[in-house]
Amino acid sequence: MATEQIPVYCYQCVAGPDLLKVVVRDGVAVGVAPNDDFREIHPACGKVCVRAYGLIQKLYNPNRIRTPMRRTNPRKGRHEDPEWVAISWDEALDLLAERLTALRAKSLLDEAGYPRLAVTFGSGGIAPAYLGTFPAFLAAWGPVDQGIGSGQGVKCYHSEHLYGEFWHRAFTVAADIPHCDYVLSFGYNGDASGGVTGVWRHAEARAGGLRWIQVEPHLSVTGAGADEWVPIRPKTDAAVLFALLHVVLHETDWRRTCDLPFLEWMTSGPYLVGPHGYYLRDPESGKPLVWDLALERPLPFDDRRLTRPALDGTFLAAGVEAGADDERWAVADPVRPAFALLVEHVRPYTPEWAESVSDVPAATIRRLAGDYLAHASVGATVEVDGTTLPHRPVAIVLGKTVTNGWGGYESCWARTVLAALVGALEVPGGILGTTVRLNRPAANRLASVKPGPDGFMAQPVNPTSREQWQDAPHIRNAYRTLVPLANDSPWSPALGPAHLPWLFMGSPPERWPAPTPPDVWIIYRANPAISNWETGRIEAELERFPFIAAFAYTQDETNWYADVLLPEATDLESLQLYRAGGTKYIEQYWKYSGFALRQPVTASPCDVRDLTDVATELAKRCGILREYVEAINRGAGVGVPLRTEPYDLSLDPSRPPSTAEVWDRACRAATRSLTQGQEERDLRWFKAHGAFFVPFPEVRYYLHPAMKAQGLRYELPYQERILRMGRELANRLHERGITWWDLQLEEYQGLPAWKDFPDIWARVALKHGRRPEEFPFFLLTTRSMQYSWGANVSLPILADVARHVTGHFGLVLNRSTARRLGVADGDLVEIESPTGQTRGRAILREGVHPDVVVAIQQFGHWATPVARDLGMPSLNQVAAMDLELTDATGSGADLVRVAVRGVDAGSGTR
Amino acid sequence: MPRWGMVIDLTRCVGCYACTMACKVENGTPPGIWYAPVYEKELGHYPTVKRLFIPALCNHCHDAPCVKACPSGALRKREDGIVVVDQDRCCGSRACMAACPYGALHFYAKEEGEYGPERTAFEQAFYKPYKVGTVQKCTFCAHRIDRGVLTPACVETCPTGCRVFGDLSDPDSEVSHLIRRRNGVQARPEAGTCPSVFYLR
Repeated sequence: MATEQIPVYCYQCVAGPDLLKVVVRDGVAVGVAPNDDFREIHPACGKVCVRAYGLIQKLYNPNRIRTPMRRTNPRKGRHEDPEWVAISWDEALDLLAERLTALRAKSLLDEAGYPRLAVTFGSGGIAPAYLGTFPAFLAAWGPVDQGIGSGQGVKCYHSEHLYGEFWHRAFTVAADIPHCDYVLSFGYNGDASGGVTGVWRHAEARAGGLRWIQVEPHLSVTGAGADEWVPIRPKTDAAVLFALLHVVLHETDWRRTCDLPFLEWMTSGPYLVGPHGYYLRDPESGKPLVWDLALERPLPFDDRRLTRPALDGTFLAAGVEAGADDERWAVADPVRPAFALLVEHVRPYTPEWAESVSDVPAATIRRLAGDYLAHASVGATVEVDGTTLPHRPVAIVLGKTVTNGWGGYESCWARTVLAALVGALEVPGGILGTTVRLNRPAANRLASVKPGPDGFMAQPVNPTSREQWQDAPHIRNAYRTLVPLANDSPWSPALGPAHLPWLFMGSPPERWPAPTPPDVWIIYRANPAISNWETGRIEAELERFPFIAAFAYTQDETNWYADVLLPEATDLESLQLYRAGGTKYIEQYWKYSGFALRQPVTASPCDVRDLTDVATELAKRCGILREYVEAINRGAGVGVPLRTEPYDLSLDPSRPPSTAEVWDRACRAATRSLTQGQEERDLRWFKAHGAFFVPFPEVRYYLHPAMKAQGLRYELPYQERILRMGRELANRLHERGITWWDLQLEEYQGLPAWKDFPDIWARVALKHGRRPEEFPFFLLTTRSMQYSWGANVSLPILADVARHVTGHFGLVLNRSTARRLGVADGDLVEIESPTGQTRGRAILREGVHPDVVVAIQQFGHWATPVARDLGMPSLNQVAAMDLELTDATGSGADLVRVAVRGVDAGSGTR
Repeated sequence: MPRWGMVIDLTRCVGCYACTMACKVENGTPPGIWYAPVYEKELGHYPTVKRLFIPALCNHCHDAPCVKACPSGALRKREDGIVVVDQDRCCGSRACMAACPYGALHFYAKEEGEYGPERTAFEQAFYKPYKVGTVQKCTFCAHRIDRGVLTPACVETCPTGCRVFGDLSDPDSEVSHLIRRRNGVQARPEAGTCPSVFYLR
């Protein structure tokens, strides 16, 4: 009996990779075990999460798409059997390449100006670990629409991505748990979504005395480990965060409790703000002015004579304000520092007010604020890698529905300002941005810190000036036109309003080119017919798509509408080197940085092809081989340039490289890049060892040293630039006669104010001829560690496990609420929203707000094997796709106002 | 001779079920049979509520009622304290299941696969050759211990490190230290079975 252990990685969630070994006995993969070789390197001692154990079942799932298939039924619809016919890979690639070359011969853009080719992948944080060199094919192609969403903008941490990266290079924001003493979590569910590193760190920290407070509408698995659960009404987190600011600034002596040096020298707090809401600037240099208490006069913020910047007070100062476009005002009025405006701004947000909005008792808010300040240890320092840094062991972290959609800006802003007040931003113990996706270089966020205007970091945004604004969408979600903060990086298409294409396809707004169905749509590891809102509407649009090529694991609800299915090579069937360690999403900050290899562990039971093979073949057939190989040489898909100083491992662009050749070069380039050219490991070495790492200094977790070294300030608390870009965007849109984005334009405020966010969802009923009172409950989702991201809903083994975790396969209701409704545990209940209904079995719990119903993850399958029999309700079936539910960043929240009733005759009432 | 035991720190468990799955993969148990389930308990009333995850497995009791109840002598206690079942001797009476206060034994009633009555080729290779009509149970991964790997699969994999395995007879072992220092408790002490699994709260 021959037994082998093959090293691979699992990247089925954004908190990857888990490093593991697959046990292969007599050619059959039969086991999974943590890769002990990296026990000392991996931050969770090489542990492996529940999903990784399902990989072998995933490989051998009998319901897989086993060969390429061609649709023979030209009619598309849920009730139209595609009538698949098996074909060879050659035939399948011919079919796709024929479409692509025809499209290329015509023009890459259609009559409306949209790319004729569109591709949709699932989570942007995961798909790249499985795409092989397909990104190089897309780079070689030309304009491609990658902004037709499959749930992006709703299922991620959207506002945090955009604002976090704007304020502190924080595409994702994490608490520095190993140095932290106190975490205030507003719905952050890191024990479900933070991977093994998250749960390991949290467990270690709890054992070490970390105090964790979980504020959320239902008691999540992360809340289960918390010291205290504080129930809150959905979408009122900003109110509590504002009240925390109020307590700190109005009920304590902030001169004593806050980190004054940080506020004075590392924020925009001292910048004087003029009567029009913009910084008062020096007329000559244009630099923002600061009132110097020593000289009793205004000085430019970087003037060497400045010694005592004022945070508070009213001063008579002369200068100019520069507003939107050409607005300029000469000012000689009493003006105040931005910090003083902040203090004034939060005055109305008392704990009593917040209690009336959120149900969180005022006394609790005061206690939390007090504890936050008490743990902040303002003035303390700690040595990290020989560098003395401030130590602020307090962190506020936010969850998905808090950072997404309306209220996301306000919540993210208040959280980040609370960190700034005590200097707990980008220092040990505080909140850290762990990766950048909009700034470059993507692999080194510290190197992305560069001086910009007004003493802040340079911020790449989509321009809003009259000269530079892109007045027409270049892809269907229009992120360059509508969302300045989305920037224009390779990630930006997924960070725009990714549901707008679906929303506008059927009914475009005024003065806007209707999004056309793409001539060819390629889909991989995504299922928008399940994961987007208003799933029925998605299906209706899919019927109109002329040609869909789907890389398919099993039949699912989206590829039901495809024209050709290409069997997906799963995790254990394909080859890919991927960057690991350093700092990455969520809580992935390691003491090592390197690359790990995923490789086929045995012969596939299906007729699959590695995606790199497919990409190469398509490039060849489409006549773009040279451009494709050159894109690989630049690093597209392989994650590291093959040609750079001090090495040249580039591929010959005149011939198609084999997959092994591509990844061999990648392995060698990766190790060279990690070791400044000193060491080189080839594919063979990686296949035997799995991964290669070099030490990653802990001090690189923190932005603070880079900011200090360049004398930069965080653009907090005042948002002058956001205010200006909002007004300019309003001007541009109004010049085109577009007013349907006006609601979103209201978000651009210098100091964000509370709006009645819950009411935004309540009002949806009115648009559908219903009364808000008919829908008294909020339906929410929550992540499941078993199911999130992994595309494993068709594995019975995971269903069997998940059955034991509260919330799976039912709807969680508060026990008292259920009693009032006459619903017993296990009863069938119907959830109705203004746009749809769904049903599920009642799961009665105490740990859920009385006005809240919870449907875990995303289900509602009708085509996916196994999942279609789970009878699991889904929020997406009843959530409306609605422009009014879309915030300025193009994001929405997984939240629906619903009615709940027992289905059994007479047992329930609304 | 050691007496193997386990300490489970309930403050660390987050109910991720990695242990459950690792056990399943390690032991190749048939569909529906899980040696290492995690139970969930809600304590208190809204708004003062706690949610507790309780990993469970065979307690490998010092005074094991299942061994006493077994009419065929299939269940026995090894010298190292591990309770094992000899499926060739098991008559399927399920008296052991009735006697166990912890619900830790499982009757293997019918051979089938995850996807239906017929097992796939993978399942034929993956599932261990358990005999239909017999009782099966956690063995503390005795097969690993016998080859010198002193960590059961559930312990090896737990991402929170909430499970610790070791020798209860060694006062200097980590398990003994934890039990003393943090007042480890056994499940259902009133049953008088003296479990080898201790819980920390």
